[in-house]
Amino acid sequence: MLTGVSEAVYYILAAIIIGSGVMVVSMKNIFHSALFLVLCFFGVAGIYILLSAEFIAAVQVLIYVGAITILMIFAIMLTARLYSAQIKQSNEQVVPGLIIVSALLVITIFALSKTTWKLSSQAPETQTVAEIGKLLMTTYVLPFEIVSVVLLSALIGAIVIARRD
Amino acid sequence: MDWIIPAVNLKLILPEIVVCLFAILILVTDPFLSKERKIWSAHLSWIAVVIAFIANIRLWNLQEATFTNMFLVDNYATFFKFIFLAGSFLIILISMSYLKREEILHGEYFSLILFSTLGMMLLASGFDLVVIFLGLEIMSVSLYVLAGFKRSDLASNEASLKYFLMGAFATGFLLYGIVMIYGSVGSTNLGQIINHITSNDAGSNLLIWAGAGLLLVGFGFKIASVPFHMWVPDVYQGAPTPITAFISAGPKAAGFAALLRVFLFSFTTIKMDWTMIVWIMAALTMSVGNIVALAQSDIKRMLAYSSIAHAGYVLVALVAGGETGVSSALFYLLAYTFMNIGAFTVVIALGRKGQDNTKLEDYSGLGSRSPILAILMTIFLFSLAGFPPTAGFMAKFYVFGSAVKSGFTGLVIIGVLNSLISVYYYLRIVVLMFMQAPVTRTDNERIKVAFCAILVLIISTWAVLQMGIFPQSLLSLAQASVSSIF
Amino acid sequence: MNFPILSLMTFIPLLGMVVILFTKEGQDKLVRYLAAFFTFIPLVLSFILLSRYQGSTSQIQFVEKFDWIPSLGITYFMGADGLSVPMLFLTALLGFLSVIYSFGDIKEKVKQYFAFLLLLEVGMMGVFSALDFFLFYIFWEIVLVPMYFLIGIWGHGRKEYSAIKFFLYTLFGSLFMLIGILALYFNVEPHTLNIMVLIEKTPLLTRSFQLLTFAAFFVAFAVKVPIFPFHTWLPDAHVDAPTAVSVILAGILLKMGTYGFLRISYPMFPQGAMYFAIPIAILALINIVYGALVCMAQKDLKKMIAYSSVSHMGYCMLGIAAVTVTGISGCVFQMVSHGLITGALFLLVGVLYERAHTREIGAFGGLWIKLPVYSGLMILFCLGSLGLPGMSGFISEFMVFIGSYPAFKVIVPLAVIGVVITAAYFLRMIQAMFLGTFNTKWEGLSEISAREIFTVVPLAILMIGIGVFPSPLANMIKATVENIVHLAVR
Repeated sequence: MLTGVSEAVYYILAAIIIGSGVMVVSMKNIFHSALFLVLCFFGVAGIYILLSAEFIAAVQVLIYVGAITILMIFAIMLTARLYSAQIKQSNEQVVPGLIIVSALLVITIFALSKTTWKLSSQAPETQTVAEIGKLLMTTYVLPFEIVSVVLLSALIGAIVIARRD
Repeated sequence: MDWIIPAVNLKLILPEIVVCLFAILILVTDPFLSKERKIWSAHLSWIAVVIAFIANIRLWNLQEATFTNMFLVDNYATFFKFIFLAGSFLIILISMSYLKREEILHGEYFSLILFSTLGMMLLASGFDLVVIFLGLEIMSVSLYVLAGFKRSDLASNEASLKYFLMGAFATGFLLYGIVMIYGSVGSTNLGQIINHITSNDAGSNLLIWAGAGLLLVGFGFKIASVPFHMWVPDVYQGAPTPITAFISAGPKAAGFAALLRVFLFSFTTIKMDWTMIVWIMAALTMSVGNIVALAQSDIKRMLAYSSIAHAGYVLVALVAGGETGVSSALFYLLAYTFMNIGAFTVVIALGRKGQDNTKLEDYSGLGSRSPILAILMTIFLFSLAGFPPTAGFMAKFYVFGSAVKSGFTGLVIIGVLNSLISVYYYLRIVVLMFMQAPVTRTDNERIKVAFCAILVLIISTWAVLQMGIFPQSLLSLAQASVSSIF
Repeated sequence: MNFPILSLMTFIPLLGMVVILFTKEGQDKLVRYLAAFFTFIPLVLSFILLSRYQGSTSQIQFVEKFDWIPSLGITYFMGADGLSVPMLFLTALLGFLSVIYSFGDIKEKVKQYFAFLLLLEVGMMGVFSALDFFLFYIFWEIVLVPMYFLIGIWGHGRKEYSAIKFFLYTLFGSLFMLIGILALYFNVEPHTLNIMVLIEKTPLLTRSFQLLTFAAFFVAFAVKVPIFPFHTWLPDAHVDAPTAVSVILAGILLKMGTYGFLRISYPMFPQGAMYFAIPIAILALINIVYGALVCMAQKDLKKMIAYSSVSHMGYCMLGIAAVTVTGISGCVFQMVSHGLITGALFLLVGVLYERAHTREIGAFGGLWIKLPVYSGLMILFCLGSLGLPGMSGFISEFMVFIGSYPAFKVIVPLAVIGVVITAAYFLRMIQAMFLGTFNTKWEGLSEISAREIFTVVPLAILMIGIGVFPSPLANMIKATVENIVHLAVR
């Protein structure tokens, strides 16, 4: 299990994630939402580090923070109407949404607390990058290849949609 | 470091490889084709499907896993691949004239269709939740784009966006479900999940429950079952018509392929526990689909709701479970593919450039304008309504039979009442075609049907009648597909 | 029997339909003759059937049996016994006559009309000869499709409404039959859909199962007969259908319901037959009396005859409910006789409507003077329908009453009231239309043509023939009916 310090770190990170997550959906200005998303992703990366999955953490920062959110911010800034904060950010169905989400939360917490987790007795890998690479080339070679097809088709899709006739 | 490269049997994955390679080949060759020659991409794509089909035939009666048990070839998967490939073949044929008419004939279209088919095939063969998930992604991503392929058409754009948003949601649910199952089992491999569930007391493990529930939601989106059906009408209406036909045939069957595989094979020991939920889903899906279809005035929307209803009938087979349940679902999906594509082909044939003619009134007097189209449409509609001696009847007979066998007579009663409702709206089109004079149409010019569309009509009519009157060969095929598993 | 007579009777009209569909547009005359030819062959075959049939045994004859869908235990099983042979003959006869009648009646889309008419005959023949549930159900459903089109395209008035109402009502019933069939299939070991095998095995099933399945089949057959309160499709469909189709509807389709009771429900579920005897008898009584009373109120001639069918089919049900040899024989007699008489009545109504373009009883008067032949025929059949001794209607009603009285000592006397009302409305109609002063408005009305006479005369001969010599028919059905009763009181 986690030690005292890491437990404290975990709760701080969780607070950051949840707090910024709430801000993402509740901010009036969509640009601010995007910035809080960055914070949220950083928090998740922190959790990965806590779980000694440094590679995943790095990828998380690189892809989610470095690529995706930046792309979103670009999109927001380049789209005048979005940036001008005229667009309504609030949702009409806050109350039903809240009810459903709370119900889900209760169920999830209940489920998680009742579960006997399958824990590995081995020590966490230290060479995660190498290990992941090895797995991707051996056990998970099929999903690895398929992912490339997913990306290819997404790429074509993007071209098809964006292309000028 | 030791590198143990797992044994890989490429023969097993040959159909997938063929489809994938041809998809890429089309992308490579298409830029070099002049505008008049673009149709060659279409030809390449159907050739790919035919080759894959032949490669797939050679896998019949094989039961073997490869890629460290992630990819399983058994008759169940092979049968589903037959459905997908047949569906894609027909769709490619009807797309050719449609794309020409709408002047959107691009090679990417066919490439995306092939990618989507590849995704479906992976869904059927995936024996690991990761592979299933990725298959679903390939399939869906291609479909999102295809739904918006008519870029100048706002409805098509809307369809694409809606499909994408709802699909992304579904993906999220699915992934979350997979994660939960992984959390409690420690593996995403279906074989290990089965072992875990049978060896442990799964009933007390709530996480598996939550995971299964989320998987059901995710698949529920893909097969368009109530209450996850909201995207269906708009997407079906807005998408280019061949794509509408495509979405309602292959991807739906693929969703069922994975759903049946996961629920009936992996969660089979806890079947009694989830059956109640699926029971309710099936009843709702049938009823909502059929009742709302009554009120539609656009044939694509009507067929959209009817496709929801048909998903409900297949869910009845899932509730029934067991060997007969699964084989009846397979047979149903096969029959549905043909009759639905047939009906959509007629819908396409009626369209004109920039003018889809999908209002119900556009069908009035079709019986006198084009008797053969009207007769074929009637056959397809009767088959959709489940009327003998067509494939639709045989399929429904088999599905309801399997449900009665498992003791779900209540659900069957709901099912047959639903067929009754469905008859009303299917017949309404027949009434329009044969019993009313053309009112809204001023141009009574002859309807020209392209050669490929005629071919599709012939194939689907033949299939619908063959499966209705002499279903033995295909029935035993469907039965052989599941006997290896149970 | 090596000669597949039943399959030929069933599928020759299908061949005819295909041939007709391949004729060129506009060759109406050729189409008509083709249709007549392809319905004439089954008629000839039905005579062979009649002559070859061995009435002394209740065994299924003319059996044809092949595997069809072996993996589901479905066979292609055709056969005939004393119950189906008269029905097959009636189908062939009315099928042929209605084609002949339609020669003059139908002027639009002739090709499609006759194609559907032939398809209809396929379904009806199949229903009366199929002995495998799957096959039976398919034929049962096939009947709906051409009927639906025939009413919807060539009908009058609110034809689309009537067509779809007919379709949905009947389908509603038959879907319950489908559930019943499936339930039977899975509750019998080994799983089978063979009706004859099921009849042997079903009495071993639990009582509650028998009652439920009986109820499911009851809905299917009751809609077809039609039994009150499922009868409301009938007046609409009859009135709006073209003449020849009304003939087939009344003459044969309704009999599919009673045939189903006798072939399936009663032999298969003796417990159900016993349990539901009184309710069915009460419904039959309602049919008889209510149908007759509604007839009294009709102004439209065709509607009146349509409701008289409701009333007459009530006698059939009364005879069935009693489960006695005489009662069920009466029912079979009534099935044949009603087919002949009501068929002829609809034909004659059609004749008049074609000339006068109205069917209102009050609009006519004194037609006897102007149209003696027509009026004579019409009055003859009306008398037959109201049960005048010497004609088939009398025999059948008499047998029904005799046969069911021991079982229902209160209901039967009440049902006799129906006979009185029937006489009243028919006589009132005869008086209003044919007697009295001639309405000069109808000066231009022409007499019934030779072709039209040709269509009703065979019916008249049979009606009187059965009335005077009932024994050939009685002998034909005797063994079978005894067997049904024997099975139904297990």
